[in-house]
Amino acid sequence: MHADTDHDQDLTAYALGELPPAAAAAMERRLVTDAAGRVEVERIRVEATALRVAFAAEVGAGLGSARLAALAASASTASVVTSPDASTGRTPRAASMLRMRPTRSMLMLAGGASLAAAALTCALIIPDGIRHSHGTGNGGEVPVTMVHHQLPPIGSRLPLAKKEEMPVSVTVDLDETVEPIAILDLPLQERGIESQAGLECDVKGPQVAFMAVGSGSPLSGKMAKSRLQVGRVGVNASEEMDDSATVESYDGVGDNPFHASVHDPLSTFSIDVDTASYANVRRYLAGGHLPPKGAVRIEELVNYFPYHDAPPRDDKPFAVDYEVGPCPWEPSHQLARVSLRGKDIDLSHRPAANLVFLLDVSGSMNEPNRLPWVQASLHMLVDQLRADDHVAIVVYGGESGLVLPSTPASNRARILAAIDSLHPGGSTNGASGIQLAYDTAHAAFVKDGINRIVLCTDGDFNVGVSDRDGLTRLLVDEAKGGVFLSVLGFGKGNLKDETMEAMADHGNGNYAYIDTLGEARKVLVEQMSGTLITIAKDVKIQVEFNPARVGAYRLIGYENRLLAARDFNDDRKDAGEIGAGHTVTALYELVPAGAPLPEAGVDPLKYQTTATPSSVGAAGYELMTVKLRSKRPDADASTLMEVPVQGAVADVDATSEDFRFAAAVAAFGMLLRDSPHRGHASYAQVEALAQSGIGRDEHGYRCEFVGLVRQAAALAAAGR
Amino acid sequence: MTAIVWIDEAVARYERPLVAYAWRLAGDLEAARDAVQDTFMRLCDQPEDAVRSHLAEWLFTVCRNRCLDHLRRCRTERPMDATADEPASETHPAAPIEASESSAGLLVALASLPSRHQEVVRLKFQGGCSYREISRITKLTEGNIGFIIHTAIQSLRAKLAADPVFADRAARTPTNA
Repeated sequence: MHADTDHDQDLTAYALGELPPAAAAAMERRLVTDAAGRVEVERIRVEATALRVAFAAEVGAGLGSARLAALAASASTASVVTSPDASTGRTPRAASMLRMRPTRSMLMLAGGASLAAAALTCALIIPDGIRHSHGTGNGGEVPVTMVHHQLPPIGSRLPLAKKEEMPVSVTVDLDETVEPIAILDLPLQERGIESQAGLECDVKGPQVAFMAVGSGSPLSGKMAKSRLQVGRVGVNASEEMDDSATVESYDGVGDNPFHASVHDPLSTFSIDVDTASYANVRRYLAGGHLPPKGAVRIEELVNYFPYHDAPPRDDKPFAVDYEVGPCPWEPSHQLARVSLRGKDIDLSHRPAANLVFLLDVSGSMNEPNRLPWVQASLHMLVDQLRADDHVAIVVYGGESGLVLPSTPASNRARILAAIDSLHPGGSTNGASGIQLAYDTAHAAFVKDGINRIVLCTDGDFNVGVSDRDGLTRLLVDEAKGGVFLSVLGFGKGNLKDETMEAMADHGNGNYAYIDTLGEARKVLVEQMSGTLITIAKDVKIQVEFNPARVGAYRLIGYENRLLAARDFNDDRKDAGEIGAGHTVTALYELVPAGAPLPEAGVDPLKYQTTATPSSVGAAGYELMTVKLRSKRPDADASTLMEVPVQGAVADVDATSEDFRFAAAVAAFGMLLRDSPHRGHASYAQVEALAQSGIGRDEHGYRCEFVGLVRQAAALAAAGR
Repeated sequence: MTAIVWIDEAVARYERPLVAYAWRLAGDLEAARDAVQDTFMRLCDQPEDAVRSHLAEWLFTVCRNRCLDHLRRCRTERPMDATADEPASETHPAAPIEASESSAGLLVALASLPSRHQEVVRLKFQGGCSYREISRITKLTEGNIGFIIHTAIQSLRAKLAADPVFADRAARTPTNA
């Protein structure tokens, strides 16, 4: 009884991020098998968000203007106190000086009525090795010049509100024998900094280290001057102490527009079985923030959930099904759900696996939810393996190289020991981690088996191939060799979301974001066969619309998966893979022929007519035809499937639970993206629709979704 | 009209949470504003380095002490004034102007908790303090804070069982693994 109470308290502390790392890790392990505990954790987080929202909405009282004025007057007499601790203990011998000179010494604020006084502390730090090898040898210790530059303020006490630009030029006077690294330490509360002019930015928590390497010219006996032009420094001064506001990057892609079927009867795209965007959105909402719009990829939200489509009954790799019903957010439109259901592969009959874990062990992985989670996730995966499977481990980013040669899974102890022995950090060298991983995979290649690299990273792609194009070429080439790729993203703060997704695309792979160990369990245990076993590759969909039935259409999501119509029949064009048991759903919003088009962009054409020949005869009743091209995992030539779509359900209550739920998820994504096509969608509608589509929900994913909708609604209402 | 950025930011971030917190402790808005103003005045005298790493803890601690001083003065000066002894009464004029219904319901439910629990909940979810910081501010043990937060959340849940935001998702979610 007492132990239960302690455990409950620990669950609360865990949900609120209050457990120390070791206890949190223990809790994570426990939660993997404790479904009720996971539900409780999530529930507490929802409640915590509700409390924060309630407090934020409690607009009550501030100090009042008179007191604020008195306070501002008092603050004006306060002294700026900073300590030059950055230089403590460092006594470089080289004569060095760093000046920081704001060319426009003010921070202009939104509205123009405000102040900002910033104490910029600049420290010059000479790396130890350089100091010793290049010391001038005269024994004289020359101190680093510290410049505390206080920017003069204007106006009064408003806080910095918007991203501002502060043009700064930095002059570095340095000894010719020294290549210093200048670290401008900005002890402000700014939350991020952007560089131009080719400088490297290293963002660690609220402190921003801005690194630039000066080039000392080889003059002798004299002081050489090297000027670093630092360009404009964007200072993002959000008051929020938000640990997610960092250097994560998201490509912003606009929503697909409507196309008139008469002019544009073909819609062509590559399938996408990734689900990372959903986990990432969940992470943002759990943290009390609405996600950035670019982080919301609707197809990944929709495809996160298992659906109940029947697997193929013949020997085809997948079955195609469809359903057409009313569009919930735009009653005059219809919604078509097209689904692909990959065949199931019984895990006991699956082919042998040759897995290479390519693991990022750079210093940034040294967080409780990064490398330790990678290790916990790989434990789960290894537990699923059979004796005839093989595992190798390659690391990069810190100590690079082959940590474990290809080892039979019968030697489980050795594999787990190698996983547990990993530690982050260490020296970085240029070892070609990804090439080594592919080489290792080829060396242990299993014909007709599962040959796959599992890349675990927080977004550092220093995998030994420096430029992104080179990496792309490598992945595309290697993908042809029969080795597939799974990318698992961990941690937050420097997640390179679109880069990871692109890697998985080029490398014939899939991408999942592991925001909780529960997600690791979903990806690596519950859906292991879908993650590891590719049953068809380069799967493309082309839908041809019948202008006699469909006036205009819009593909929901898949914005970065669109293909040109001619690419459909071009087998050289790469496309997405589908795993065993996977369901891929595509939703089209349809404007029935004759109904007004939602966008005024296209004028009626003079010489065209909507009365096409297909408006008569059997084909006349068809809304559209779904065409699919795919290849067997080891094939180079594609095969074609065609499925005509006809008939529609008139009443939303008559649609299937899967239809309603997928529609709810799509509408949720449109709300989060603030899509121009969201119509009458609201969080309340999404919630009701999702509730009506929960169905069996074996793993509780759909119930969790309803919780996320409520959380997003509360955050949106509070203007977060 | 000079001020320092970090103080400016501290005022922007904590002004309203501190007033809300102090209001409930002191039971009087003007006294609460006095306490908060005094707190920020004292902050101006602090070297940034000395408080920056634990700013919230510092602010709430100083503010709390100012409020307790105020309550002590009230007792001394007006021993017959009973209101000062009930700083966190349910009749508190908290006016959630823009709060949604569920938020308003939550605040009403919160007001019915023991005042110590209310204080700890506010420090956690309004002040953004960690258990450790709350422990230092209130002089309670960290374990005690963990117990109070857990208990407060459970009892808020029970009170608001019918509220949409707290709707019983657990009951809907299958308990299978």
